[in-house]
Amino acid sequence: MADPAIESHARRVLDEVVRAGAHGDLIVHQDASLSLKAHDGDLEEHKVNSTRVYGVRVIKDCRAGIAYSEAADAAALHSMVAQALQNAAFAREDDKEAIADGNGSLVTDDATLCRQDDVTVETKIAAALAMERELAARDKVQNVPYNGVQDVTAERYVFTTAGHTAHSKARLCNAYAYALLKDGDKDVLDGVERTARQFDELDTSVIVEETYARCIALLHGEAVPSRHYDVLFDVECQAALFDAFASVFSGRAARDGISPLRERIGERIGVDGLDIRDAPRRTEGFGYALFDGEGIATATTTLVERGRLVTLAHNSATAGHFGVANTGHAARSPKTPLGVALHQPEIGPGEIRESDLTSGEYLEIVDLAGLHSGTNAVSGDFSLGAAGFLCADGERLRPVRNITVAGNFLDMLTKIVGIGDVQHWNARRSALMARIRFADMPISG
Amino acid sequence: MIDARIAQSVIDHAVALGADFAEVFVERNEVSNIATLSDQVQDLSSGIDFGIGLRLVYSSKVLYGYTNRTDEDELRRIVTELAAKDRRDPATATSAFDFRAADDVHGAKRTLSTDPALREKVDYLFAANRAARAVSNQISQTRGTCGQRQQAVEIFNSDGLHTNDTRHYIRATLQAVAASGTEQATGTQTDGGLQGWEIVETLDPAACGAEAARQALVNLAAKPCPSGRMPVVIGNGFGGVIFHEACGHLLETTSVAKQASVFHDRLGETIATSVVSAVDDGTLTREWGSINIDDEGMPTERTQLIENGRLVNFLADRLGAEKTGHRRTGSGRRQSYRFAPASRMRNTFIEPGEDSLDDMIGSIDRGIYAARMGGGSVQPGTGEFNFAVTEGYVVEDGKVGHPVKAATLISTGPDVLRCISMVGADFALATGMCGSVSGMVPTTVGQATLKVDDILVGGNA
Repeated sequence: MADPAIESHARRVLDEVVRAGAHGDLIVHQDASLSLKAHDGDLEEHKVNSTRVYGVRVIKDCRAGIAYSEAADAAALHSMVAQALQNAAFAREDDKEAIADGNGSLVTDDATLCRQDDVTVETKIAAALAMERELAARDKVQNVPYNGVQDVTAERYVFTTAGHTAHSKARLCNAYAYALLKDGDKDVLDGVERTARQFDELDTSVIVEETYARCIALLHGEAVPSRHYDVLFDVECQAALFDAFASVFSGRAARDGISPLRERIGERIGVDGLDIRDAPRRTEGFGYALFDGEGIATATTTLVERGRLVTLAHNSATAGHFGVANTGHAARSPKTPLGVALHQPEIGPGEIRESDLTSGEYLEIVDLAGLHSGTNAVSGDFSLGAAGFLCADGERLRPVRNITVAGNFLDMLTKIVGIGDVQHWNARRSALMARIRFADMPISG
Repeated sequence: MIDARIAQSVIDHAVALGADFAEVFVERNEVSNIATLSDQVQDLSSGIDFGIGLRLVYSSKVLYGYTNRTDEDELRRIVTELAAKDRRDPATATSAFDFRAADDVHGAKRTLSTDPALREKVDYLFAANRAARAVSNQISQTRGTCGQRQQAVEIFNSDGLHTNDTRHYIRATLQAVAASGTEQATGTQTDGGLQGWEIVETLDPAACGAEAARQALVNLAAKPCPSGRMPVVIGNGFGGVIFHEACGHLLETTSVAKQASVFHDRLGETIATSVVSAVDDGTLTREWGSINIDDEGMPTERTQLIENGRLVNFLADRLGAEKTGHRRTGSGRRQSYRFAPASRMRNTFIEPGEDSLDDMIGSIDRGIYAARMGGGSVQPGTGEFNFAVTEGYVVEDGKVGHPVKAATLISTGPDVLRCISMVGADFALATGMCGSVSGMVPTTVGQATLKVDDILVGGNA
């Protein structure tokens, strides 16, 4: 159910946009969240928040400008529209950027995305405290510096001057624990997090067990000699690495002349068995999206099929620029301009039994550091800190730390030894990945 | 920005509910961002953030909430909700506010609210684009950004503090893309400060464009980087990210209080070689990481962290000081009203020495010259850090050789501080954004060129 106050504000804003002789759309984002952190046997932080932000995009004389406001009084909304119009006056002419046609309505299903539960704050506090207590009692655990739970309900509205509306509401609960273990001169700080639609779907005892098992397994890790290894990333790392380079599939990056894939539609960019899709309508994933940042309905998009680049991801402007279909990948928050982003990417299952990916010697990488700084999506190059295990025939021989893994993302797609036949969600359920064994990756130790 | 009587009422209410300390943080943040693509304006956006953060402290526990509303009833309601589980008889009394405006030593002139200068900013980025393209026809694209913001804060607390400040930030960046066949590489030049658009008087768009293009062309010609442990000479300016990641975060009481820093019990001890003296200084005039007062209302200061290799200070916010016993350093910072403050760096740098670049390079048989660095990250609990080389060269037999592609340097804070053997005199600062528990804040890193005798280079050869 849409908030009547927000609908009223949207009417006021869009009426003013039309009166100025422009077209436009308004995005409203509001969320309510609870965050609890425990430390030293007590609650360290208890945070309760709610916010709402309005962001308008106006298009006048084929020029787009945006502005936002966190206030919703009449003067603030008027000022927001005036600023957007002023910004548009400086923008380049682009007859491809347009407000979506149609006057339909899209609304997400609360029963799927926003189920409420009756878990009390006291229960959530107890869960955070219990995670710390149970981990702190384990052998070699020095400290549990970071652990807590979160509960966030986020709503997003899109209103257009054409009369189209879209509204989504989703809830996510999250729990995490990171422990510092010490044994002699060896130490390790690591942990896991889990996400669910409802708090009572989170099993904090599993988080405790997995955090401890992960730390113990890595504690005595040492570097391996520098050379090239076959590498199998765990699902978290594989999803994170693909996410760091997701912009190579962006139609906006291609239009701007910086995507290395901009002139390669139809070409082979990976091995024969590689399928990369974006599947925003999988409701079991938490990257689910009914509509994009322009309010356009989403659908599954095949980006790479059997190694060939089928299409890039597009919003209305980039689709218009290239004369192709809009794939419903507009990305825009109230505060940011129109971009392109994937919703819920997946690597399709291959034909190799997952157990057969682990033959011979390889490195299993379970931790990557520096993804925000050690990757370059324009060149495709990366070099990252890493940790994991030296393995042979599916057995972990020894833990490995203080190494780096480097390469070029696009080169990697051509050096795939095998793709497993099972897909796995990452912990945040934002990406669905068949595991991939990559050949011949430079490792420094 | 809000009536002091409302703030007093809210704080009185929190104290009446038993809070040891209560604070009202009011923020109005005006933003303008321009993005260009070659000689066209790609995006132009602006907006205003406004909100109030309410912090209640019960012993060592922090209760935090925020809202966009300013009415007394709503603010008191949030306090009541936050304190619901902890309310008790009053433990302290409030003090009447004693208003003291922050002394502004930076004196911004062309501020966002008085002079947005949109056309001038666009012209600056266009000029930088032309300069980049003039360097080589291999420059296939440029992306420019110019962001300006004006952050007004007003802070009240139960100790009677009432103060305010307005911070003016400006930052301009040009990224150049060089292309040859299917190969692409980038170079980036950024300038910024705690000032208004008058910064343009000190900037040269031609130099900015030429520098971004030069880096992109160097990287386009780069070969795979060798791997393994070796000596590395790290360039000045943004090279200071090594100290920021390897040591700075580990000296914040946010980590120290949790004993989640490898340096938490090392005060007074030698933790680095004697050539290393390091400072976190919030007072530098018009520098990007400077502040007049921190986000708890305390005047900022220059804090000597390491003196000739010896750890002499931590960076402490109010709560960190209470938990650790270390003195407050005016380092309580936060991204916005949506975050509780935490101890954070400001302008952090290794002080210059006397060594020359030639001597550093000449002392290396096989190593890397990391002329420019990108960002990085650290695990404070173990001190393990990583950071990216964005312009690097091999060093062989005491000479700088060919450029090398993407490399990451990894080590631990304690190890790298013991391996800094030479520090040059070519001191420079560079702007960055630092992310941590209290969000993203502007920070400056800096150093003169220095030599690390042994560090792991993660290359792709």
